[in-house]
Amino acid sequence: MTLKELFDKAVMREILDGLQTTFKHLFVKPVTFQYPHEKRAIPDAHRGALCLLRYDDGAERCVGCDLCEAACPSRCIKVVSEEDPETPLRRIATEFYIDITKCVFCGFCVEACPVNALAMTKMYEYSTANKRDLMFDKAKLYQIGDQMLADAKKYLVVHNQELNDEAAMQYRYKFPYAPAKKG
Amino acid sequence: MSDELISIVDEKATVELTIDDEKVAVPEGTSIYDAVIGMGKTIPSMCYHYTFNPFGSCGVCLVEVEGKKAPVRSCTSPVAAGMIVRVDTKTMFDARKKAVEKHLQTHPLDCPVCDADGHCELQDMSFNFGITQIGEVKQKGLPEDRRSAVLDFNMNRCILCAQCINICKEVVMVDALQFFKKGGFTHVVAKGDTALACEFCGDCLAVCPVGAITNKFSKYLYKPWQLTKTVTACNYCADGCQMRVEVTDDAVVRVTSLLSWKDKWDDHAATADGHGGLCVKGRFGFAYINSSERLKKPLIRRNGAPAEASWFEATAEVAKRLKAIKAAHGPDAIAGLITARCTNEDLYAFQKFMRQTVGTNQLDSSARYGHASYVAAMEHALGAGQPTVSFQDVTFANAILVVGSDVTETNPILALRIKDGLRNYHAQVIVAHPVRTNLAKLAPFPYAIHVGSEGAFVQGMTKAVIEEKLVPQRVAAEYATAIAALRAAVASLSWEGLASATGLSREAFTEAARAFVAGERRVIVLGEQIVNRPDGYANVLRIADLMLATGMIGQPGSGVIRPCEENNERGAVAAGAMADRLPGGFRYDDPAARARVASAWGGSLPSGGTTLADMLDGIRTGRIKALYAIGENPLGTLPASAGVREALSRLDLLVTQDAFLTDTGAMAHVVLPAALAAEKDGTFLDGHGRLQPVVRALDAKGEARPDWAIVAEIAQLMGAPLDYTDAGEIRRDLLQIAPAVFEAGAVALRDGFAGEVASRYAQPAVAAEPSSSGYPFELSLYQVLYHSGKMSTRDKGLLEIDAKNRLQIAAKDGEVLGLASGDRAKVSSPLGSVEVGVEVNLDLPTGMCRFPEHFNDPPVKDLLPMRVDPVSKAPAFKAGRVRIEKVAP
Repeated sequence: MTLKELFDKAVMREILDGLQTTFKHLFVKPVTFQYPHEKRAIPDAHRGALCLLRYDDGAERCVGCDLCEAACPSRCIKVVSEEDPETPLRRIATEFYIDITKCVFCGFCVEACPVNALAMTKMYEYSTANKRDLMFDKAKLYQIGDQMLADAKKYLVVHNQELNDEAAMQYRYKFPYAPAKKG
Repeated sequence: MSDELISIVDEKATVELTIDDEKVAVPEGTSIYDAVIGMGKTIPSMCYHYTFNPFGSCGVCLVEVEGKKAPVRSCTSPVAAGMIVRVDTKTMFDARKKAVEKHLQTHPLDCPVCDADGHCELQDMSFNFGITQIGEVKQKGLPEDRRSAVLDFNMNRCILCAQCINICKEVVMVDALQFFKKGGFTHVVAKGDTALACEFCGDCLAVCPVGAITNKFSKYLYKPWQLTKTVTACNYCADGCQMRVEVTDDAVVRVTSLLSWKDKWDDHAATADGHGGLCVKGRFGFAYINSSERLKKPLIRRNGAPAEASWFEATAEVAKRLKAIKAAHGPDAIAGLITARCTNEDLYAFQKFMRQTVGTNQLDSSARYGHASYVAAMEHALGAGQPTVSFQDVTFANAILVVGSDVTETNPILALRIKDGLRNYHAQVIVAHPVRTNLAKLAPFPYAIHVGSEGAFVQGMTKAVIEEKLVPQRVAAEYATAIAALRAAVASLSWEGLASATGLSREAFTEAARAFVAGERRVIVLGEQIVNRPDGYANVLRIADLMLATGMIGQPGSGVIRPCEENNERGAVAAGAMADRLPGGFRYDDPAARARVASAWGGSLPSGGTTLADMLDGIRTGRIKALYAIGENPLGTLPASAGVREALSRLDLLVTQDAFLTDTGAMAHVVLPAALAAEKDGTFLDGHGRLQPVVRALDAKGEARPDWAIVAEIAQLMGAPLDYTDAGEIRRDLLQIAPAVFEAGAVALRDGFAGEVASRYAQPAVAAEPSSSGYPFELSLYQVLYHSGKMSTRDKGLLEIDAKNRLQIAAKDGEVLGLASGDRAKVSSPLGSVEVGVEVNLDLPTGMCRFPEHFNDPPVKDLLPMRVDPVSKAPAFKAGRVRIEKVAP
């Protein structure tokens, strides 16, 4: 055993060598983030939970046209529509269900919606012990929409559904279509 | 369409022209459109439909004609010799595209909320032409016209193609719609811009290529692609319409017709096969299938009240008690009734159950109410009990005699065939009816005869034909003895006697007879006022005399059509579900047929047999202890004078099998829930002799089951199983016994016809009424267009259209009695009196009043006597004499 070897053994050089990387990382910013104490920034185009939206005056956008139901590849949407008893000619959705356990988050329903009533949000935390809670009904979807309105609007803009506020006006059909009377 | 029928349509000279470098020859007067369609090409068009004449409003069917600068509308331009037409060119494509774009400029883009979305011709065209820009948009912003009971008119969407107006005017001949200009826009409105008051057939809805006319009952509920569609037969009347039942998981959402804008290309003459449309009952009368009043579980009476039970309990109870009664009193203590609304398979299974498992021939069906008279008399006289005229024969007839039938109300689609003949083939339509019916208003020869004198009218016709020497040569030679006997017999009738009976002069009879014998093909439409009369059997024999005299026997295209009230009355006869009929429609006492049936079943057939009226007597005297009624409700149908309630209360066992809890069912010991026609498979034999497939469109409500399945299960529990697993097996069984069961027999004059004729004319044709003093009005129960039997009064939709349980009286009688529409009156007969609302009807003759037979509230039917035809045993209970008094409000 040479003197050097002896010295190395005395100061436990091999362990120091091994710890060198560890010590180095004492001064490096950690890559792990502390979910759920910390949250990741989600891109605007993220396909999270679906929601139903209202117009700014609080009126429901959805006209119950069943096109989302037709577009859905996993057949998780059910719309029950009828004529609004108060406003003749106006079609409304009396019930609206999305079975989120079946949903594949493809976003086709949002694309199909002629009135931009559907949007996807950045919400992804809805795990539950009761599977029934994952059957989103109309009230729940509007609740998500009201909570996540900013996200939902950003989603529509990013996906070219509503380009910007000015251009979006032309998409804002309100059925029945009632043009302004001249004069 | 068969070649034979095409040849009936007038031959015309042909014209040669060139279409897309191809030479074609078409009859003169054909439009370019039809010529192109005939080549197998299509030109898009929105206002064209083969059922009516081209209108040329949409401007899409453009073609290029050499020598003309602008493209021409091909549907309204007739062909000319040597014409050179180009269809498939780029220029024409663009011209048509421009025309569609023009429609889109005034059409709102509210497709997402429109009911026609996915079933819209304008949508399809926009897609096919690849239209993405539509230029300046001009919206109408009109409110919806919601005045009609069944249809909403959204004129924003209307493209003014006028298909609705044309089909109503030319095919249905009701002419209820018109164009109307208001507020700078043209609208489609009901005549006079009022609430729509038409026959509500909904054919306008079917042909509308956009969503301008929408169905109120299914508005905004579903999109077309969400509904499962099944083509099945309608089970209201015997016209045998095929219809598309559109269902979701557990409910019928709407019924659509085969007639639609999608099916628009055909030869105009193909309307003879039926234009595919429906009547108000077929299209709007489906809500009874979804009704919450439907029976969902079997009921067994326990401690005096019906209680829900399981199928196992219920069928075991029925089987046990039937077996006990059979053991104690013999098989003839059990009787069975079945409605002719059941399928052929149900009817066959039930008669086999009664005759084999139970071992009795105490069996009857609702075909007894009128059709039985026809079958018995025609078989006796001409050897063929079933009507022999086909569906197309009515359209192509030269002369149509409608006697005793308000056919537009009872059988609307048959009426359309008559109207088709009237409009397109110039048929001489002769209508003999006391009331000025809808058809009488259109017919060239309407005759208002006295109430109940239909038989005398037919005799008068026969007399006129013979005495005016209108008997064809062929007939006079072939049936010399019969004609001679008939000549002698009609000589005994006096014109004065006929005039006092019918109210028609000799000249009127002569005129009618001349019109009737004018052509070769003659059809008699034989309504229920002929058969459902105390002398129904004799009346049908009088028809046979007229057929003989005018040479209709053995003449192709000639014959009688019997518009039955219930969809499968012919099937009930064919399946043998009547005491006097064997499977195959043979007489029950026909030894050869008996032997065949007995050997097929591997047993013997019971002797004897009891029909409905005798059955009630048997129950009253205690001879019959048990009654098994499928779909029949004698308590609700027959008048109180028939003593049904008293009879039924004497029964040891009353089993009813129905979709609803009927009056009879409320008295029953066991009630079994049955599936409706839309919920089972099978076949109907319609009034025109066509075998109509019945296809299951949705699952039966609750635990309801098809009638044959219930019967088969009870048979199994009684130890004599009917081994059937589906309806097809039953049908095969029936076809094995009688291969020609669903075909009409040949008509030939029976021997002995000549010998009987004289006796038929010995008594007056009008049965002498029992003392009519004090009861000056003739009351009859009649069928309205909007209802069929009692079943339709369970239908929410039809009740919304018509729920008028009012007594109709003539205007003059109303004046004399001081009654106006809406007043109440007391109606009395020797059998009692009821209070009822009154409606004045301008079409009724004085001295006549009528009440819709579908309503039992108030019980007007109980005022009428029931008389049974001595030969056919058909009970007649729809006419009688009454007194009307005003009731102070």
